[in-house]
Amino acid sequence: MTFLNASLLAGTVLVAVPILLHLLLRRRPRRVEFPAVQFVQERQVPQQRRLRIRHWLLLALRVGVIALLSLGLARPSVIFSGDWALEEEPVAAALIFDTSLRMEYRHENQTRLERAKELGLWLLAELPQQSEVAVLSSRAAPAAFEVDRASARERIRRLEPSADSQPLPAAISRALDLLEQSEKRLREIYIFTDLARAAWPRETLPTLRSQLEKTLGLSVYLVDVGVPEPKDFALGTLELPRQILSSRGTLVVQTHVESIGLAGACTVQLEMEEQDPATGRRRWQKREEKVCQLQPGQAEQVVFRLRGLGTGIHQGQVRIVGGDALPGSDVRYFTIAVKPPWHLLLAAPTAPHLVPSFVTEALAPREFRLTGQARYECRLIPQEELAQSDLAGYAALMLLDPKPLEDALWQKLAGYVADGHGLAICLGRNAQPIDSFLTPAAQSLLPGPLQMQARRPDFDTFLAPADRQHPILAEFRRLSGTVPWDAFPVLCYWQLGQLAKGVNVVVSYSDGRPALLERPVGKGRVLTLTTPLTDDTNHEPWNLLPVGDAWPYLILVNEMAAYLVGAAERQLNYTVGQMVVLQLEGAGGRRSYVVTAPDGMTFTAQTEGAAGPLVLSPPPLPGNYRVQASGSPDGGFSLNLPPEQTRLDRLGPEELNDLLGLRNVRLARSRQEINRHVSLGRVGQELFPLLIALVACLWAAELLVANRFYKDEPKERKGTR
Amino acid sequence: MSLVAKYLQPEVVRQIRRLDLRAQCIVKGFFQGLHRSPFHGFSVEFSEHRKYTPGDDPKDIDWIVYAKTEKYYVKKFEAETNITGYLTLDLSRSMGYTYRQEVTKWEYAVSLAAALCYLMIQQQDPVGLFAFDEKVRTSLRPKSKRTQLGDVLSILARAQPTGRTDVAASLTQIAGMLRHASLVMLFSDLLGQPEPILQALYRLRHRGHDVIVFHILDEAEVRFPFDGLVELEEPETGQWVEVDASDFRHAYLEQMEKFRDTLRRECARAKIDYVPLDTSMPFDRALSEYLINRSQRS
Repeated sequence: MTFLNASLLAGTVLVAVPILLHLLLRRRPRRVEFPAVQFVQERQVPQQRRLRIRHWLLLALRVGVIALLSLGLARPSVIFSGDWALEEEPVAAALIFDTSLRMEYRHENQTRLERAKELGLWLLAELPQQSEVAVLSSRAAPAAFEVDRASARERIRRLEPSADSQPLPAAISRALDLLEQSEKRLREIYIFTDLARAAWPRETLPTLRSQLEKTLGLSVYLVDVGVPEPKDFALGTLELPRQILSSRGTLVVQTHVESIGLAGACTVQLEMEEQDPATGRRRWQKREEKVCQLQPGQAEQVVFRLRGLGTGIHQGQVRIVGGDALPGSDVRYFTIAVKPPWHLLLAAPTAPHLVPSFVTEALAPREFRLTGQARYECRLIPQEELAQSDLAGYAALMLLDPKPLEDALWQKLAGYVADGHGLAICLGRNAQPIDSFLTPAAQSLLPGPLQMQARRPDFDTFLAPADRQHPILAEFRRLSGTVPWDAFPVLCYWQLGQLAKGVNVVVSYSDGRPALLERPVGKGRVLTLTTPLTDDTNHEPWNLLPVGDAWPYLILVNEMAAYLVGAAERQLNYTVGQMVVLQLEGAGGRRSYVVTAPDGMTFTAQTEGAAGPLVLSPPPLPGNYRVQASGSPDGGFSLNLPPEQTRLDRLGPEELNDLLGLRNVRLARSRQEINRHVSLGRVGQELFPLLIALVACLWAAELLVANRFYKDEPKERKGTR
Repeated sequence: MSLVAKYLQPEVVRQIRRLDLRAQCIVKGFFQGLHRSPFHGFSVEFSEHRKYTPGDDPKDIDWIVYAKTEKYYVKKFEAETNITGYLTLDLSRSMGYTYRQEVTKWEYAVSLAAALCYLMIQQQDPVGLFAFDEKVRTSLRPKSKRTQLGDVLSILARAQPTGRTDVAASLTQIAGMLRHASLVMLFSDLLGQPEPILQALYRLRHRGHDVIVFHILDEAEVRFPFDGLVELEEPETGQWVEVDASDFRHAYLEQMEKFRDTLRRECARAKIDYVPLDTSMPFDRALSEYLINRSQRS
């Protein structure tokens, strides 16, 4: 509690006056002669007790009146946050605006950001003179106090929604750092937010809470500009099983449409960006459309499939037809690269237990081959012919249960891989004698020395991918927890010694030993599987991977091939805020590229080296970007908003309590509420009216009691004559 | 102004002269003899026999009874004469109290006594006087002469209600001083413990006296007209109590009513006339009403 006129508290000593009067100069009741006192005495005792109580009550009332009066005149206030100040004392204020695309939500013909700006400008005018003002957005930009109010006003006016917004706690943290530098005693943070959960990640709240609690003299005002019950159709994250496609493959684009507070039909279109042959300009061409019937809170998956794309970079978008309140959630962009079918060379020794067709059929099933849909052109040769084969035309080579190779062949393969190709070595029972695989030439490609064949006849060992972050396991990632690896036991595998430097275990067995290992060699990579993919189940197989409903086997083989040819890990689709890394083909040592942004703006970017990737710092605008250089095919990439940026669901009462539970944090929705809370924050809750009301009540009570005590005395004393 | 004129104003005389004071039970001949033989002294009307005891006047022996029974019996005779009235006034200080500063209880009692004295003298009945506080302070032998009124008033005018009171002791003393059955008219506020007073009255009654109690209170004692915080001081003892009169009025009036009720009830039981009065009542009218009422009862 604080006092505006603390000196007037000295007036409380006046409470001694009624006490002294009561004790020393107590008003004597008038004495009257009365012979019939005997009748009074009989009833006197209880009445005397009442009288005494009344005396003390009267004294208490008088003391209370004086004490409350002096307390009231001292203008006490209850301060809820930090230090006390006059209402017009200059402050250091940080105005934080949520500028995420979610703030484009339009309600009553005004976006949330426009509403926030309107309130912000008004608030700026209301701040005390000589205040220091900083305007921050939710973009990661350094915070600084504005030179004057005009510049602060201008900065507020220029605020625009941006896709690279950060959660608000980050901006608050920057504001706190800035306010710490101010010499002003009072510090205030105004946060203009729609209170969307996405802007206030739950994990950041404890840290934020402790920061706010620690800062002295700080008042935080959450200005809620959100809509309590938003209505919107929103697209979820776009999922592309493959970003690099074979020209024979099918483009699969899937997402989900979610309804927030709306019921009805929602039309979703897949549109591809094409060049108008007549004008040369790029335009959107609708390729497919889906209609979803949604109820509030309901979500529906939408899958588009597209075939017949020519080779090259293709860019498209999935969008909700017809506008709604939040345009940012209505469109998602994508880029894919379509390539001719990859040529794979598969080499396997001739042996009765060995069925190479398991692999060839997994990579290019007969049906696909016949219909021209196979992604890979597979050529199977005996291992003996490998030495004479020209490997240059193949994107990758797979050695299926190889026999010992000559050092010269190992060296040839090493050169092939170093040039940027892929090699898969699927070790099996033919890898004997071991010594032949321990030569330096072999070890330059193998992940480590072969030690022994580990037999696991109890059917209790199987592939057990632990970390699914590797590109080969991307498909399994989507199927998390549902792959029945234990149905495909591994009965025998090669146990390796000390692994070479740079070797990465992609998949392990359930006993923890490595199963699939990756080793980068030059520009290429070598995948080694310590158990074969081609064992005939009728000849004491080393594993049962290809047996039965072997869909995990198919996926594994295809993903290995895709990784080897470089189709698995190339990323063309990013979310806003991510660093863009593009491995451009046919660069031919070119280092400068022109990047065209979705809004038509262009800028140049350089590769890191002659053959290095093109690295772009996170572009802010979602959409499709094209990367061009003369004499080379176009490249491109897409940027999408993180889905949480357009999620409108608001903080629940519990989370809000986490924030508002702090004594120096207040929530306001209108100018009146802001005014009231700011006044409370600076001056505190004035108790003057309450105290004066109490004084009036006590005074009235005192008069009542006193009047009953001391009736007007008769002018003439009466008694015995 | 003469004392008679002061205490017995013409309008009062007019009011009561046509009334009389009738004995109720003790002196049966009081009323009858009022006009027939006011000066006959003792009556010869037979009352009862009792055994002769040495010292009795031998002429009172009923020889006829002796002849029949051979035992000596003495004839007792009741006096068939005018009643002797005793005006018995309380001289205590509380009788000097007045709230309105108009008529004190004493003055009221004196006026009342004067009226009764006049009435009895008019009826040829002798009237005596006792004035007491803690004991009898003044007395006057009963006479029926017309000068008796002046003597009575002269004594009362000199007397001042100043002392403490003991009604019971005084009445006991008076009872011892009365030889014959008389009409004792007590004028007092009777403030004190009611039991001893009632005992004294019973004693008087037991001795064959007719007793009329004029219970005179001040108007304030009956109505308790105070408000607010007051200190009430008892004039005789100097004791005081502090009370909130507004709150206390109801309780006080209850107590007072209870006191008067007790007196009324106990007096009725002992066949004593109890006349509650207060100084706000015109005493002549109050007296008239009482006398008419008494006359009807007899």
